[in-house]
Amino acid sequence: MSETARTQSILVEGIPNHIGSLGSLWDADDTFAYVASKSAISREWIADSLERLPEPYRIGHFCLLTSGSTGVPKLVIGRKSRSEQLVKVLHDVQQSEAVEETIVSLPLSYCYAFVNQWLWSRVYNRRIVVTPGLSQPNVFLETLRVARDAMLCLVGPQVALLAQMFGEECFPGVIRVHFAGGRFPQEKIPLLKRMFPSALIFNNYGCAEAMPRLTLRRAEEAEAASDIGRPLPGVRLKTGGSGELLFLSEYRSVGLVDDAGFQAIADDEWIPSGDLAHCGDNGRWQLLGRPGEVFKRYGEKVAVPQILATVNRHWPGQIGYYRDKDGAGEDGYVLVLCPPPLKDQLQLLFRAFRTSHSRTHWPLRIESAVSLPLLPNGKVDGLALRVAGDKFLHWRQRV
Amino acid sequence: MTNIEKLTNLAVEVFLIDPSEFRRDLRRDEVGTWDSLGVVSLAVGVQETFGYHFTQDEALSVKSFADVIRILEQHGIPFDEP
Repeated sequence: MSETARTQSILVEGIPNHIGSLGSLWDADDTFAYVASKSAISREWIADSLERLPEPYRIGHFCLLTSGSTGVPKLVIGRKSRSEQLVKVLHDVQQSEAVEETIVSLPLSYCYAFVNQWLWSRVYNRRIVVTPGLSQPNVFLETLRVARDAMLCLVGPQVALLAQMFGEECFPGVIRVHFAGGRFPQEKIPLLKRMFPSALIFNNYGCAEAMPRLTLRRAEEAEAASDIGRPLPGVRLKTGGSGELLFLSEYRSVGLVDDAGFQAIADDEWIPSGDLAHCGDNGRWQLLGRPGEVFKRYGEKVAVPQILATVNRHWPGQIGYYRDKDGAGEDGYVLVLCPPPLKDQLQLLFRAFRTSHSRTHWPLRIESAVSLPLLPNGKVDGLALRVAGDKFLHWRQRV
Repeated sequence: MTNIEKLTNLAVEVFLIDPSEFRRDLRRDEVGTWDSLGVVSLAVGVQETFGYHFTQDEALSVKSFADVIRILEQHGIPFDEP
């Protein structure tokens, strides 16, 4: 394959007319990769990976880049026909028939936005409005103001920014608000209902390997952010020996490429989603956290997502955290608030920790930052947060 | 900052109590967060704040902030300040 031919199979998000090019690549037979303009992975590596795909995967597929739960970048290979089938399932269960347009605030090369928004708009011939998201609030605000029967796909960390930037606004033209890609902002539902009074709000759960959806629930169906509802039609879930959530899905990816090379995913292979979970007697699934988010401290199990749920109830701003150890070498985590809290707000958090959690669940430190480093998909970048030099210490445990 | 103010801040920090809850005679059994790790945290906090290291017996004998004050005063750290 020539260099020219190789680079043609990689579409970089954001280049002029890239939406049109994306449609052309989707219609063409050849497998292509769709990647963000800023990526830690070299185009050469992606081109080499595409070139080395086994023959059956070189036609009728597409590749997206993800770091998934491991933080190790990899190409995830989806089959076009499967993803189109998933879009049709989502259209029904998300009651999307009434939706006329979808407003994009996340990178489209992010699997969630790619399938939920771009591919859906293509399959159902609906308008797609690509915005710079919250990086240009005025543009995004104007788009929301003129929205008509619109679907918006967000990730949880964007809610605090939305509230901060235009929490007093109301956008009746948005009739669907979806969340995925991290913790569902259950505590912010009243705020979201004020901002989007006409919208049905959904918690989507999945991962890039699922391409990308596994479960769905309406915001009102549960009170806990960890509740992800029930599997979509065509999806089966179970837990493995360590409590890890495994799935079989008719829509899942068919292979991965990482530094170890190409790995096919068999149809009967149970795939880990990257989270720990359990299924309740009512058939609803509850997330317990990622393996790195659940650990033992002085012999007691600590599930960071459950603690962050407490913080969310008492803190209106953004929340980040990173893992660290205390002076005795015990595992712990550091809570980072943004913007810096007032004294009264900190006292409220103290009271919440004191009344809801044992000392082993408390953070090692509470720090603040003027802004939180975010990944392109809107999630807090925990690795960058750990090394960020402009954090301010508010409180620390003495052990 | 007076020593009693320093001790109040330490109590808030170690046990996450409200500042208004602090009393000199506040007892361990009145503070739900005064657990075994709290005992260690208080001892570390006293050392970092007042420069005095509790002996093991002292750390284990503390049942109230009055005990902390008594031990610190025995080692020349006054709490009856103007």
